[in-house]
Amino acid sequence: MEQWQRKVSRRDALRLLSAAGGLAMVKWSQARASVAEQLPVNQQIEPFTGPGPNPHWNSVGPYVNEPQKAPLILLTDRPVQLETPRSYFRSVLTPNDAFYVRWHLPDIPHRVDLAEWRLKVEGNVDKPQTLSFSDLTEKFKPVSVTAVNQCSGNSRSRFQPRVAGGQWGNGAMGNAVWTGVRLRELLDAAGVKQGSVQVQFQGLETGQGPKGSGSNVFLKSLELSDSALDEAVVAYLMNGEPLPMLNGFPLRLVVPGYFATYWMKCLTWIRVLGTPDENFWMKTGYRVPDTPRGNTTPEEMKAGGVRTVAISRMPVRSFLISPDGSSKIPAGISVTLQGIAFSGYGKIVKVEASEDGAKTWREARLGQDHGAYSFRTWEVVWTPKIAASYTVAVRATDEKGHVQPDEPVWNPGGYLWNRIEKQEIVVGKVSGGASR
Amino acid sequence: MRKRLSVLIPGLILIAVGTAVFAQFQSGSYGSTQTNSIEQTVPPQLAQDGNFSVAPFPSFVPELAEGEGRAETQDFCTTCHSTRYITMQPPLPAPTWDAEVNKMIKTFGASIPEATAKEIISYLQEHYTPENRKH
Repeated sequence: MEQWQRKVSRRDALRLLSAAGGLAMVKWSQARASVAEQLPVNQQIEPFTGPGPNPHWNSVGPYVNEPQKAPLILLTDRPVQLETPRSYFRSVLTPNDAFYVRWHLPDIPHRVDLAEWRLKVEGNVDKPQTLSFSDLTEKFKPVSVTAVNQCSGNSRSRFQPRVAGGQWGNGAMGNAVWTGVRLRELLDAAGVKQGSVQVQFQGLETGQGPKGSGSNVFLKSLELSDSALDEAVVAYLMNGEPLPMLNGFPLRLVVPGYFATYWMKCLTWIRVLGTPDENFWMKTGYRVPDTPRGNTTPEEMKAGGVRTVAISRMPVRSFLISPDGSSKIPAGISVTLQGIAFSGYGKIVKVEASEDGAKTWREARLGQDHGAYSFRTWEVVWTPKIAASYTVAVRATDEKGHVQPDEPVWNPGGYLWNRIEKQEIVVGKVSGGASR
Repeated sequence: MRKRLSVLIPGLILIAVGTAVFAQFQSGSYGSTQTNSIEQTVPPQLAQDGNFSVAPFPSFVPELAEGEGRAETQDFCTTCHSTRYITMQPPLPAPTWDAEVNKMIKTFGASIPEATAKEIISYLQEHYTPENRKH
């Protein structure tokens, strides 16, 4: 009896155990399935964005390898246009191999013979100059300036309605220490003639188009009276190294505060003009409405009569670089919101961050001052207590009192975007409690 | 009874611990499909002369939508730029494509016969507007 009982009970126990085990297995596989469903899917990004705005920080092209470059985001391969990924802006200086690339015309150098190459300073001058690379490095005093180079069309993919052109995200910008010769010194050496009005820059960027058209040669000019010329440098070093070919080796014009369209790559001719430059890239291209923020509407454009001016200085901008929203943050820990800010109108004096979608603001701590036209890093510590999705926003103020607005801008060229940037940040639960 | 519990309890504990540990983390998931990678390149051989050169700039040719006018679009547009200039754009309204092709001809001096230009415009309008763009 006892034996039987024991036998039965043992069998019962085993049955019970296996039943419990079975149940647990079912629960386990259910749990496994539900957790597995929660794994993020590494989905390939969409091949294009629109007609709505591009929702991503960068543009959506694939990463590609180009000579002397880290993998960058491809916009176009001929002419070459490459965007810098967001994470490279964690440092105040943008590495040369990660620096964005933008050319207008297909025929750009991939070989320059420095034994033969000469910079010409010509046109309306008394003593035209022909200078070798060593003339530039040895006969003139080297100067350095840290300055942001930003494409006029940076963030064009935010425009509504969308406009044709390079569909940049936010990565058509970079900051570097540029070393070379003061432009004014070269002009003084050549002796600018009385009555001259502009100075034209020409590099080694050409195309198949007919002479006199914009597709034949890329040319830009600045007014001789423009104070930006006083700060301009003809640079042979970028972050202490020769320029990458795709960024304008061997020499690039640097115009601190101005959009990159004036920063002529592979600069080979500096030409003093007695009459204003009427070439396509001045008269038709790179023009913005002569309105506050360069803002207009498609309707106003259609109606005609929108007066335009050549694009010039960069409006104030700021960016959150980290965290970038790609990972969750555990509730209750302190994270450092960090990023960069700059303005073409001078020094950044204030950066503010918001964690409630630009309703309330907190002042950020500014990083080291690298000069009025450099990126200025900023950071602010944030301790999100409650699991939720937060909209972090950032806005900067420059020394002229310009503050970034929360309104979009629209013009047909897709230029001058500087709306307040926003980033969704998800904070996750760290305990069983309702709030944490 | 004691014997029964001596089997049951450790068993249940084992299951409970296993389930609890599993709920805490998950590991060992690998993708099953091949994803794209970027090959590394070898540093170039450099001579000590005055020539500073880099390798040819690579081409990344996109797949254009199939349809009438694709060949003309490929042939004529690529005289000056790759067709990435088309696929990079957001979907653009039909009149914008008309204006873009005409800008290439009138402003940039592209030499495209009138009939071909019309074919290129209708190809772009057929595949790259908000109403019809697929890839």
